[in-house]
Amino acid sequence: MKYIATVEDKEFIVDIIDERHVTVNGKTYQIDFEAVSGQPVYSLIADGKSHESYIARGDDSWQVLLRGRLYPVVVEDEREKRLRAAAGGGVAETGEFLLKSPMPGLVVAVPVEDGQEVKKGQVLLILESMKMQNELKSPRDGKVSRLKVKAGESVEQKQTLLSVV
Amino acid sequence: MFKKVLVANRGEIAVRIIRACRELGIETVAVYSEADRRALHVRYADEAYLLGPAPSRESYLRADKIMDIARKTDVDAIHPGYGFLAERENFSAACEEAGIAFIGPKPSSIAAMGDKAEARATVIKAGVPVVPGTEDVGNMSNEELLAKAPEIGFPLLIKATAGGGGKGMREVVSLEEMPTLLQSARREAESAFGDGNVYLEKLVKGARHIEFQILADKHGNVIHLGERECSMQRRHQKLLEEAPSSALDEGLRARMGDVAVKAAQAVDYINAGTIEFLLDKDENFYFLEMNTRLQVEHPITEMVTGIDIVKEQIRIARGRPLSYKQEEVAFNGHAIECRVNAEDPYNNFLPSTGRITHSLLPTGPGVRVDTGVYPGFEITPFYDPMIAKLIVWGETRAQAILRMRRALEEYRIVGVRTNIPFHQTLMDSPRFMGGQYDTRFVEERFSMENAEENRQDYSEVAAILASLVAHHETEKAAQIVQRNERDTSNWKWVGRWERMNR
Repeated sequence: MKYIATVEDKEFIVDIIDERHVTVNGKTYQIDFEAVSGQPVYSLIADGKSHESYIARGDDSWQVLLRGRLYPVVVEDEREKRLRAAAGGGVAETGEFLLKSPMPGLVVAVPVEDGQEVKKGQVLLILESMKMQNELKSPRDGKVSRLKVKAGESVEQKQTLLSVV
Repeated sequence: MFKKVLVANRGEIAVRIIRACRELGIETVAVYSEADRRALHVRYADEAYLLGPAPSRESYLRADKIMDIARKTDVDAIHPGYGFLAERENFSAACEEAGIAFIGPKPSSIAAMGDKAEARATVIKAGVPVVPGTEDVGNMSNEELLAKAPEIGFPLLIKATAGGGGKGMREVVSLEEMPTLLQSARREAESAFGDGNVYLEKLVKGARHIEFQILADKHGNVIHLGERECSMQRRHQKLLEEAPSSALDEGLRARMGDVAVKAAQAVDYINAGTIEFLLDKDENFYFLEMNTRLQVEHPITEMVTGIDIVKEQIRIARGRPLSYKQEEVAFNGHAIECRVNAEDPYNNFLPSTGRITHSLLPTGPGVRVDTGVYPGFEITPFYDPMIAKLIVWGETRAQAILRMRRALEEYRIVGVRTNIPFHQTLMDSPRFMGGQYDTRFVEERFSMENAEENRQDYSEVAAILASLVAHHETEKAAQIVQRNERDTSNWKWVGRWERMNR
């Protein structure tokens, strides 16, 4: 069974051949995969290297805690991937990027204007949440469009704030 | 001793205070917001009362509601923890008026230390060294400040007199840019504290943030419990603290400790408090401010002195003399505290909200975790992002660092992103290991990006793991469907099949 696993901006084609073998982007690994009974803890030995991980299902991805770092992994089969591509979304190098609020909060400032050219890493919006001001940055070069919020406004989690085309 | 104490706070500090009360045989009353119904402090307390909706303005900052609950529940005392109402002189005064002991300082001490310019003036009179700056209390016009600036010398800091947490603070390197920065500092101070007054202070280069823990009772006894080094900061928020500081020797500790006691005496202080200093490379130290409350980082002092600061606070409020004299305070070993925040260190420390699905705390020798969260707990955007304090103790600093590394490795939190990888990277940093750091270290000489390059990327392993788990779930789901399609249980189905094949 073939899956497309996306970890942040990296994509891996994971083909589960049988209980003992997977290929990742064409490279074959010999594996031994065990779940700890009743726990979200998994042990994976891949080509002799041992990894212990906590894995839980998140809203739209699997949350994989590995060596202290939490990796969000979106796992899809080819059909799901095609459907999602057709529906749009994701941080693509081209096409429209929708900046969604990562949490509920208060818009402190919007240092960009509709139609403005922006560079990768440029601050698009400052959002206050958990008593902190957070800079939300552009993932790539482009032009601001569909700017929907202004300073002083409260926003909900996952609310679309603006887009970069 | 008190019979019943109301804890006017939430999170780990409310739990910490409830624990101290329980050990002293005191009943506790918790207060909570709608967002905190399932919080640990509510579950641990003997009684619990709803304050109001989630925003702190409508719940934990409602002094009137808290006083009503205190009267209704007939408590003897209120412990404010840190943050919220801990440094509101009106709240301390309201407790006094209601005949309820405030486990904290008198309103006059809070007022004297709450206004930074007034605090400076007060401690200067007591002979405490302060950072050179404008000595007039508040209210200086922009013209006066501009005239004074060259005397103090650049670089300097514009600071809000009512300030804290870096709000209303600006660094100025030249006279030309000062008018603009004065405006923006005043604006920020006005919006944050409702007070646009600012003052000037010389910027001490390469400074370390050293603070002394004070205990003062109602009988005139004031002692210090040594120092904590809190230079590891980002955006003026502390991230890691250690005790003792690697920058102090016995002589300097004694000198700074004496000055800290003097500063506390200058405002007639009673309760636990902290005197913050800046220490420069030449061992000059300057009074910065006093925190008239219990602090987040108090456990490291508890670990090296063996003194329970919260219990001492309660005893002091009850009118008992301090349990220790200065010469009885002995320091043993080294302690480090890492603040575990729901923040993503790989994404400019962006706060991370959500449900903690799983959590496994580190344990073992010399490890203490103070937290108010548990698996299933929801991290909301209403309160600050600290979810736990991981504290370790070791006989030496090196041992404490090794133990902290081990504890960070054991700590598992799934559901929200945390700054644990930041602390892990910090523990590996040669400058931290060498104790060679100052307050600018994290912002100027530390980068998660560089750390990331040196660290192995496990994205591929994560991809395999998630795919395998997803695959197993899909297979399990398929089996269930198959069984339903057969319209009977596997056992019956096997029985039929066997009969047919007899």
